[in-house]
Amino acid sequence: MNTPTAISPSERAPAAKTWLTANPPLRMFHTLVRRELWEHRALWITPLAVTALLLLSAMWTHGAMQIDTSEASEWLDPQIKIIVFALAQWALTIPHYLVMLLVLNFYLIDCLYAERKDRSILFWKSLPVSDTVTVASKMFVGCIVVPFGTYALALVTDLLFTAIWDLRAVIGHAPDLVLWDTTAFVKTQLLMFFGLVISILWYSPFLGVLVLASAWVRRNVLMWVTVVPLLLLIVERLAFRKHYFAELLAYRGDGIWGDLHMESVVIGSLTGVGRAAIASIPAIYDRIHIAPAFINIDLWLGVIFTVACGYAAARIRRYRDDT
Amino acid sequence: MTAVIEARGLRKHYHTTPALEDVSFTVGAGRIVGLIGPNGAGKTTALKAILGLTRFQGELRVLGLDPRSRRDELMREVSFIADVAVLPRWLRVSQALDLVEGVHPRFNRARAMEFLRRTDIRMRSRVRELSKGMVTQLHLALTLAIDARLLVLDEPTLGLDLLYRRQFYDTLLNDYFDKERTILVTTHQVEEIENLLTDVIFIDHGRVVLDIPVDSLPERYLQLTVTPENTARARALEPFYEREVFGRVAMIFEGRTSAELAPLGEVRTPSIADLFVAKMESGSRGARKEAA
Repeated sequence: MNTPTAISPSERAPAAKTWLTANPPLRMFHTLVRRELWEHRALWITPLAVTALLLLSAMWTHGAMQIDTSEASEWLDPQIKIIVFALAQWALTIPHYLVMLLVLNFYLIDCLYAERKDRSILFWKSLPVSDTVTVASKMFVGCIVVPFGTYALALVTDLLFTAIWDLRAVIGHAPDLVLWDTTAFVKTQLLMFFGLVISILWYSPFLGVLVLASAWVRRNVLMWVTVVPLLLLIVERLAFRKHYFAELLAYRGDGIWGDLHMESVVIGSLTGVGRAAIASIPAIYDRIHIAPAFINIDLWLGVIFTVACGYAAARIRRYRDDT
Repeated sequence: MTAVIEARGLRKHYHTTPALEDVSFTVGAGRIVGLIGPNGAGKTTALKAILGLTRFQGELRVLGLDPRSRRDELMREVSFIADVAVLPRWLRVSQALDLVEGVHPRFNRARAMEFLRRTDIRMRSRVRELSKGMVTQLHLALTLAIDARLLVLDEPTLGLDLLYRRQFYDTLLNDYFDKERTILVTTHQVEEIENLLTDVIFIDHGRVVLDIPVDSLPERYLQLTVTPENTARARALEPFYEREVFGRVAMIFEGRTSAELAPLGEVRTPSIADLFVAKMESGSRGARKEAA
């Protein structure tokens, strides 16, 4: 250990004093969250790649988007343009959330397993961080950081995509299909936001099960979380001629959305009664009710189940080592 | 002597295989204790019990705390290097510093930087890009920058070349150890650390077979290299171990004096490595005899 330094002067600078330094527990939690983003880089690289691809598509898409001149008058109707604008916001979020689900799935499966696989668990356990806080930081990343980070990116994508499209329409490189409407924008984003909050709460049991499996299963976590539910479905159907588990999964899949009347309001409005009956997108949104979802007892029972899974994962990790 | 570790009747079984059987020992402050034993002797299990990483039966206090119930609190005062391969391979050096600084209240970043300045390690490097020796240096820099009262090392230099092994222990002595701090180390390479140790604990088949301060060894154990004509007389004094080297017989005695042995050959204090081999082999022979 006697060779000259290889550390640059900028790296020698002490860590910036921040408000976090005044609050050690918060600082610890913040550091643990940063650790997750360092370790699982797909959590932020993949959404950024999706954003880049969508924005590139805004710059390069044409041809297929040409307007049929026979219907030009309908497409140029400002009311229609606002609807297209609102629907485009929804459409642009779909790739973000699909990719998020995929990335989150792999993250949760790996989050407590990877440290045992590479033996680094002994390093992590040499630090004064409790198992509960460790597991909480991972669930926080899965429940809050990634979903709301995705929401923020989707919002930025919406804005930039619309701006790029408008700019191209102004210079004649793209059809003038969308019309900015602040009310439609705000209401769409609010609906997406509350939809995301409800989704996180409603689907959190899946997250809890994956974290628990990551702590519990000794190897091949992915196989366990896919094969075991499949086997359960098959066994209850073939051996017992029942489908309780299948019904439970189906209910946990879409059971909450009926409370919002989204299906009847949105899809019904757009397909059932025809475009003529659509007063405006904001008017459609006004008929959606968020509050009933939050008073659904199953939503909160699911959250309690998730917390229990997190607690169990922490208890299991307590005596897990590199063996 | 202030006890840093007090273990009484530790027991641990992996299914039906005993790992610790009624293990008791005390480690005082300011000591460097070698926990030495063959593979599967129970060393790592004992260390994991001390660090609160495994369940066990018996009484154990580390810095006055029960590691089973107060592990997180304990780890503020205890540093631990399992072996150098446990640093996460995806971690950058700068991230490692940020990380330990963010979670450890006793970490001194400037001190860690001071250690790292003496190496070729670059801040942007990931652990997987470093040689094993460099990973050791990084881990040591992180560990020694923690103001811990107890440092636990489990085979810390496994797989390192002689140069890095020597640097590791030199750094440990020069930059970490003082009379207030305690080091508990397990290793197979006994001969490399025997000059550092203040105490040795030999463990075999989950039992403590020797627990002694190094400076008490000459009073209790003597090695006699006996001349051929005196072999029978020396054996009559009941050595617990003997071996033949280059036609001469080396015997190790417990509880004999130099005055008794000197007429029979050359007398000296056995090295810890010699004593370890003697204890382990005599123990095995004893066990075989009992079995027969």
